Amino acid sequence: MKKYGILLLVVSVLFSCRKDEIETSDGPNLTDIYGIFEVVNTLSTSQANVDFAAGQSVHFTSEISIITDWELRITGQTSGAEKIITGTGKIIDASVSTWDGSTTNFPIFQAEVCDVMLTFPGEVDTLYSSVTVDSPKTNAGFVIADFESGWVGGWTSFIQSGGNMDFNIKTDGTAAEQGSYFNMQGIVDWDWLVGLVNFNAVSYGSSTLPLTDNAENLYFNVLIYGQPGLPNSRVLFQFDEDEDQGGTFTAVNEDQFAIEILINWEGWKQVSVKYSDLVGNGAGGGTHNPDRINAINMLHLADPSSGLAKSKLDYIIFTENAALNP
Amino acid sequence: MKYLILTVFIALLSTSYGQDGKKVQFVGGARSQMSNSSFKSDPSDSTTAPKSTGGYALVDLGIKINPNKSTEILGMFRIRNDFGGFWGSGVTFGVRQLYIRGVAGKVLRYQVGNLDYKLTPYTFYNHNADILTKSVGTMAIKEDIFNYESFYRKNTWRQQGASINFALQFPKVVKEIEFNGFITRMNPTNFADIMERLYGGGNMVITQGKHLTIGLNHVSIFDLAGTALDSNAYSNNVSTLTYDLRFDAKNFKYGVDGESGISSSGLSQAPEDALNDYFLHARTYLNFKKKHLAFDLGYMDNGADFRSFGAQSKRIDYSQQNNFFNRYTNDQILRPVSMYDIYNDPALFSNGIQAGVMDYNPSMNNALPYGIATFNRRGGYLGASYSDSAKIIDASAKYYLLSEIRGQGTTALKSFHYANLDVNFSLSNLMKWKKKVNIHAGLAFQKTTRDGEFTFENVDLTSITVNTGFEVEVIDKLSIMANLFLLQSKGTDQLPVRDANDVIVNYSDFRVDGIESNIAGGLKFAFSEKVYLAAMYEWNKNSFVVDNPYQFRQTSIYYVMKF
Repeated sequence: MKKYGILLLVVSVLFSCRKDEIETSDGPNLTDIYGIFEVVNTLSTSQANVDFAAGQSVHFTSEISIITDWELRITGQTSGAEKIITGTGKIIDASVSTWDGSTTNFPIFQAEVCDVMLTFPGEVDTLYSSVTVDSPKTNAGFVIADFESGWVGGWTSFIQSGGNMDFNIKTDGTAAEQGSYFNMQGIVDWDWLVGLVNFNAVSYGSSTLPLTDNAENLYFNVLIYGQPGLPNSRVLFQFDEDEDQGGTFTAVNEDQFAIEILINWEGWKQVSVKYSDLVGNGAGGGTHNPDRINAINMLHLADPSSGLAKSKLDYIIFTENAALNP
Repeated sequence: MKYLILTVFIALLSTSYGQDGKKVQFVGGARSQMSNSSFKSDPSDSTTAPKSTGGYALVDLGIKINPNKSTEILGMFRIRNDFGGFWGSGVTFGVRQLYIRGVAGKVLRYQVGNLDYKLTPYTFYNHNADILTKSVGTMAIKEDIFNYESFYRKNTWRQQGASINFALQFPKVVKEIEFNGFITRMNPTNFADIMERLYGGGNMVITQGKHLTIGLNHVSIFDLAGTALDSNAYSNNVSTLTYDLRFDAKNFKYGVDGESGISSSGLSQAPEDALNDYFLHARTYLNFKKKHLAFDLGYMDNGADFRSFGAQSKRIDYSQQNNFFNRYTNDQILRPVSMYDIYNDPALFSNGIQAGVMDYNPSMNNALPYGIATFNRRGGYLGASYSDSAKIIDASAKYYLLSEIRGQGTTALKSFHYANLDVNFSLSNLMKWKKKVNIHAGLAFQKTTRDGEFTFENVDLTSITVNTGFEVEVIDKLSIMANLFLLQSKGTDQLPVRDANDVIVNYSDFRVDGIESNIAGGLKFAFSEKVYLAAMYEWNKNSFVVDNPYQFRQTSIYYVMKF
């Protein structure tokens, strides 16, 4: 009998109940996910005017009754630039909706009034607001060309004598950044090269570009326009390094790194590449030395049998630490 | 001269491979598989190649060296050749096992290198939570292969590290105290944001006498601070008490055993977010000695925040993709991991534990997706087993009635019913035939329900697994095999979606109405207990992707040898 008593005691102790958790639950409440969608607080803007160039930012607030996906779309009334911020939740506040002036869909924002629209997939409700950009965001980095000041002395070029040739800086309201861009077009049925531009370091006041020597931390960025219906253009960027710092580049014993981009998209697109990822000719040992670049050659190429090739360039800029956040 | 060389070689072999006191042994296995599969889904699918053939041969060659009586060294290499490889392509070489073990000072047993290790079901244990039924015939061959490939032996996990074991014996009060300890490496540092992560622990098992055994167990997953730039170290600590209080009467044995303990897990820089909880698990049992009949009645209360990843890691990671016909239809949708894949693709199985809550498939096991150590479960179970002395019938049955302890997104709790039945019948033992005739039937039934105030809180999911087959030796060493496997699941559930810190951030609707069936037959010629050749044909149909059901037909040949 004593044995049974011990057994009963052990079982009783072990089976003692834990503190009841009937009033608590894990995770978000189901009513916040599967409940009825309602707007609790409409869309508002933290400030009516924002000066991104001065380092300011703006955020948007709203509250809805359930956790759901949302999309905040900011559209420049003048430029047509777009910034899209998406998220999931029931409260939209500074932690998820802060805008630093950057752009999702080109062109880049200007000083302009912007429409702000908040939508929820699967729901008919759309909330509206607006914000005025007093001055657009500025980007840290070394600008090779934004074409706003016209042709820079020291740049050189070669344009084939084909048909419909147009290698010129234009200001016609279609630039990706500010007002001007570089147009490239032509028919060259005997050669891949349509035209080229050499952005020589001497144009910037030195025999080499004033860049960091850390290739792992340096990004080359360019905005390229793909002409609708003409996916045959390519741009080849060559980076000539003056390894011996003799003032000239010699292809047989100095490094030249390059990137070739097939422009098979439509509209403006940002292309960024870390300088250390560029492939070289190996003539100078293969070490990336961005501080010794003495020229950047931009070659516009197309298959000679493909007819008219057309593209545009804008905002060629080196940035450090990260790719351009336009 | 050549006879002299041959004589010397045979003499060397005989000294090296003697059965007793041998210094060098060769151990390992060899396997070859060839298969031809045809895949069929939507008739308009012109993107997926409908046939696949392939095969491989592999040899695991291990050299076990005993430099002295108390030391053993094992190194095992694997050479694998995928059929169709040419001049070295498709051929891989690798190290499969490497360890040194022995006894130091006739007291301390140790092992370094690969360890196949376990402690207790709540601390460090490889639960088989994805395959709920046992198998014979064709299914047993496949189980044998993936268990071998993944080093699944008696619920151990394969780890790399070191272990020790020793025991002290006493003349009075306590009969013996046994100590076990281990330390293994889970992942190396990347010197940036991933720290060196180790897994260690041990236990002390006190055997009082013939009535009482008590164990104190502790395991810990921990990051080694200073091994990376990040200093936010993770840890998961589990301490438990195991016990077995037993009594022996003339015709029966009875007692209470179980395990209870506490756990904590979290990051060093966020102690406020740490998860702390406890669990209780106790069982009474009654074994009738002469009738070979046993009953047990258990109670478990595993806290919602109880985390013990050494016991809660799953064998299958359901977030991974298939390797076999992984996409199909013209839209090339992903084909989810099915039971067919689990039985046929050893690459899907994990070789180690994972610190984090792993995904699971509710159709396969929703009641205890992480085995008996599943967190957030409370309830009882009742089990019975029978095995006669003539080994004619070996049967076991268990029924669990469980519920959540803490609701997910609601205070309404899910309830789980889980019944498991397994019967093995040996006609040859009954009829006293020399040739083996084994018939097996396994059944698992699970039902999950939740009734809440709102319709969206309700869940109702039912799953049935049937695994039956037979293996009949028709002529000496040649057996006919046939199997039927069926998984049917229907209903709805809401599954938690967790972030990188395992916090529930959302729920995904789980809706299912599907059946997977696998009919297989084949022949097996057993050269010996450890060497056999088998040929099988399978027909697998799957309708779990409602709009895109599919089916396989596969012919396979297996040659398996272990030595």
